[in-house]
Amino acid sequence: MSELKINTEERRHSILVVDDSEDVHRLLQARLRQENIDLYSALEGSKALEIAASESPSLILLDLDMPDMDGFEVLRHLKETAATRDIPVIVLSGLHSPADKVVAFDLGAVDYVTKPFDLMELRVRLRSAIRMSDLIEMLGKLAHIDGLTGLWNRAHFDERWAANIAENHRSDRPLCIALFDLDHFKSLNDTYGHPAGDAALQGFAKLIKREIRASDIPCRYGGEEFAIVMPGTTPQDGAIVCERIRQELAAMNWSAHPERKVTVSIGIAGADGAVEISAEQWLADTDKALYRAKKGGRDRVVTTNLSSGQTSEFTKAA
Amino acid sequence: MNPPNYESPLRSEFSDDPDMSELVTEYVGSMPQRLNSILSAYERCHREQLIRIVHQLKGSGGGYGFPQLTAAADKLEQRLLSLNDQEISMAGPELEGLIAVCNRMAA
Repeated sequence: MSELKINTEERRHSILVVDDSEDVHRLLQARLRQENIDLYSALEGSKALEIAASESPSLILLDLDMPDMDGFEVLRHLKETAATRDIPVIVLSGLHSPADKVVAFDLGAVDYVTKPFDLMELRVRLRSAIRMSDLIEMLGKLAHIDGLTGLWNRAHFDERWAANIAENHRSDRPLCIALFDLDHFKSLNDTYGHPAGDAALQGFAKLIKREIRASDIPCRYGGEEFAIVMPGTTPQDGAIVCERIRQELAAMNWSAHPERKVTVSIGIAGADGAVEISAEQWLADTDKALYRAKKGGRDRVVTTNLSSGQTSEFTKAA
Repeated sequence: MNPPNYESPLRSEFSDDPDMSELVTEYVGSMPQRLNSILSAYERCHREQLIRIVHQLKGSGGGYGFPQLTAAADKLEQRLLSLNDQEISMAGPELEGLIAVCNRMAA
């Protein structure tokens, strides 16, 4: 799963310097050598836009007074483009007038440093802007994380599921989704209390994180329901992963209540390539498979292949 | 009181900084060529080109430890911005001021 990085100090940052003066590039390379950053250089605005889109630097240091495309124009393009909109931009310019500063801030610059710059001041401003950007990014991710299990939450699921369906329609890549429902969860809560229920949810979340690939998207779907979106995975391969999860959960010992077993019912719907099925219908088909797993006696995996229309089942008896 | 010695070498504020010494030497070494470009643009009345070169010196001078270069380039740039292409010769005194600073620069 794509991990949430809370410790921003561990990340290596990069800065794109945009200035038509090679002297400034050489100077910054020498002056920022001791910082833990990679530097990209662009001598003109169009090149800067290319590098910003392809490399997603942590920050852009932008000169304003440049021939052809000036810094204001570059800033406008950066903020109008989805891929570069969130990259913080510090203007580093020899233009000192308040009017230039107002325009730069209005266009989305986060700071404005005038040339010739004081090295100490520039360094702290760079660090401050990068720290702020990291925090904003982290808050954005936290808004998509389920607090109890650490998995992605429903909002994130909705977003990524729609994107993966679009990708399936476009690229003909396989796609698979699994819905999980912990069996008799209400009875677990009623018998052992909510802390035991929470421990089961957390334990299950840990198990699925361990079993899936980095490209899979594990989510807490709601209550005791979980989902894993598996891009590039056929329903057959998805079923193998889910069956392993089912078996491992059933074999798990719960230290506080060793006499109690927790099991899960799993419904899968997937396709070997592009299928013209909407996100909602695909999810409804997955829900049907899950319903069949429940109805069939729980603790089992029911898989529907949307490409062939075939349904198959793994159970503890199989 | 002795008058200031305008011919004395102008050392970079960072001449003792090991991170900067090589860069400063290169920067100072590039000045004759830059002055040639400035004079050439001035003589041909290429105002835009002249402003660009001077603007870059203004932006970089202080960073390389020569705030006097930034100040002299700033004066010339301001003057050029107030003139049109035909009036460029009126910036002669500011240009001389910049040349004087460049000629005194030493690593």
